[in-house]
Amino acid sequence: MSWKSKLRGRVWNLGGNVDTDQIFPGYAMAAPADKFKEYALAGSEIPDFAKKVQAGDIIVAGENFGCGSSREQATVALKEAGVGLVIAKSFARIFRRNAINIGLPVLVCDLEQQVKNGQEIEVDLVSAEVTFCASGEKISGTILASNVLETLEAGGLIAKVRKQLGGRT
Amino acid sequence: MNQIERYLAIAAGKEEVHAGEDITVKVDLAIAHDITGPMAVEQFKKIGINHVFDAKKVVFVLDHIIPAATVEAKVLHNVLKQFSQEYGVKLYDKGEGVIHQVIAEKHRLKRGEILIGADSHTCMAGAYGALAIPVGATELAATMATGTIDLEVPDVCEIRIDGKLQLGVYAKDVILHLIGYFGTAGFTDQGVIYTGSLMDQLTMDDKMTISNMGIEMGTMISYFADPDQPVGTVKEVYTFQAEDIPASVACPPNPGIVVKAADLSSTKISQVVIGSCTNGRLSDMLVAAEVLRGRKVAEGVTLLIIPASVDIAQQMEDQGLNRIFREAGGMITSPGCGPCFGAHMGLLAAGDVAVSTTNRNFPGRMGHRDGKVFLASPRLAAESAIAGTIVTPGMVVPLGGLADELEK
Repeated sequence: MSWKSKLRGRVWNLGGNVDTDQIFPGYAMAAPADKFKEYALAGSEIPDFAKKVQAGDIIVAGENFGCGSSREQATVALKEAGVGLVIAKSFARIFRRNAINIGLPVLVCDLEQQVKNGQEIEVDLVSAEVTFCASGEKISGTILASNVLETLEAGGLIAKVRKQLGGRT
Repeated sequence: MNQIERYLAIAAGKEEVHAGEDITVKVDLAIAHDITGPMAVEQFKKIGINHVFDAKKVVFVLDHIIPAATVEAKVLHNVLKQFSQEYGVKLYDKGEGVIHQVIAEKHRLKRGEILIGADSHTCMAGAYGALAIPVGATELAATMATGTIDLEVPDVCEIRIDGKLQLGVYAKDVILHLIGYFGTAGFTDQGVIYTGSLMDQLTMDDKMTISNMGIEMGTMISYFADPDQPVGTVKEVYTFQAEDIPASVACPPNPGIVVKAADLSSTKISQVVIGSCTNGRLSDMLVAAEVLRGRKVAEGVTLLIIPASVDIAQQMEDQGLNRIFREAGGMITSPGCGPCFGAHMGLLAAGDVAVSTTNRNFPGRMGHRDGKVFLASPRLAAESAIAGTIVTPGMVVPLGGLADELEK
């Protein structure tokens, strides 16, 4: 898995309070892992998101993104469908940690009112700076903690733990 | 330090810890179920070690889709069966009940012990003083390998509730009222300590109902204080008077939209669910059975009764509750999660309206996105089942008319 600290992509603005039942609905819970991506946002107002999303697209949301269930299927589905980054005003705790743990970057930044669907933005994950590609205007998010960047750079928590336990069986 | 910090410090092997500090704590029990467990197992195998940190401290419970409703669900069961055989960890695969209830009954942790669970309602164990932290599958896999978890010490708030609940008002109303007050992100990443004179009157069942839904306010830890030690320094103390808490209902589309039950009267319903890790315990069933005794479920309403564990199911049978439910027109299912999370056993179609004692009512939570779920107490749910509309407790059975109320 290659870590990219600079990402550029098209925005999907999903608004506030997007819960995990909308990101990955209960009826899909027993789906095998290779099918998760087909259900990305299947319970939301854009049920055909998985068909429309392109690799590198960026989700922008309001408050409490990913609230509800601990189902990691929600983060995996978004990542495997092609989402490169999720930016929200705030995240629910478990979703935020799940995303980082599987190597899906998340950034806290209040963009919801400032971007439209399809707009291009560029994000520097190290400086937490978002650039609107059309205008060149910049806005700053919350800098990611060093241990979060470490996990993302490693490609997720499992790679980090492998390293940590290296040699031990 | 406050009580949560004191126990985190012990688990981290430190003299003291402070909010915001990154620590690594020893884990006393790591749990997962048939939806999160197989993912955890897959991630664990990628780590490349041939044993879990302690085979006695990893437990799996099949509860979400058991009996398997689809071939895919059975494949997930089999992943856990195989792993439990290979690695010697305990698997509950006989329909023993919802994971949080099974852990409370068979693996109850001591106060201050650390429970890590790949299910958001793991926080329920805070009712008996565990520091219970919900995680996803990958984080659980890491804990299965290392026996530890990396955490930040959370800010901790105290919720103090004094006084007595009014008749017809239950633990479920308390937590719904709090979620309504603080919002679904009210305590994101924070710990909450429950205190106050109300706690002396609450049963363990009641406390589990309250701690269970802490995650609906975003909490990292929901914890009932040890009355025998000082609470310690917290970031904020919020004070409530129990008498001010009304019979409450959380309206769609999220558990934070809480209104007085009285404001919803005459909303027609088509399904009632009494069960789940939130409200599927014997005390919940006793209240529901008393309401339903000698009465009939309304035309056009399906009533589902789902015990949270097989032990509870046995007690329901021993105490004659099942006959009462059946004679009223209720359907009793096997213990487990039931339709709570929308995979099987009682899903809603567009236009359906359910009153449910479960914990979430997001769009599509119990089936179709346009099916509505109203969250409430077992008393309110049972009375609504008879009325066929959402009612406030007392409209079908007079307040003070149930046996436990007569004792008070």
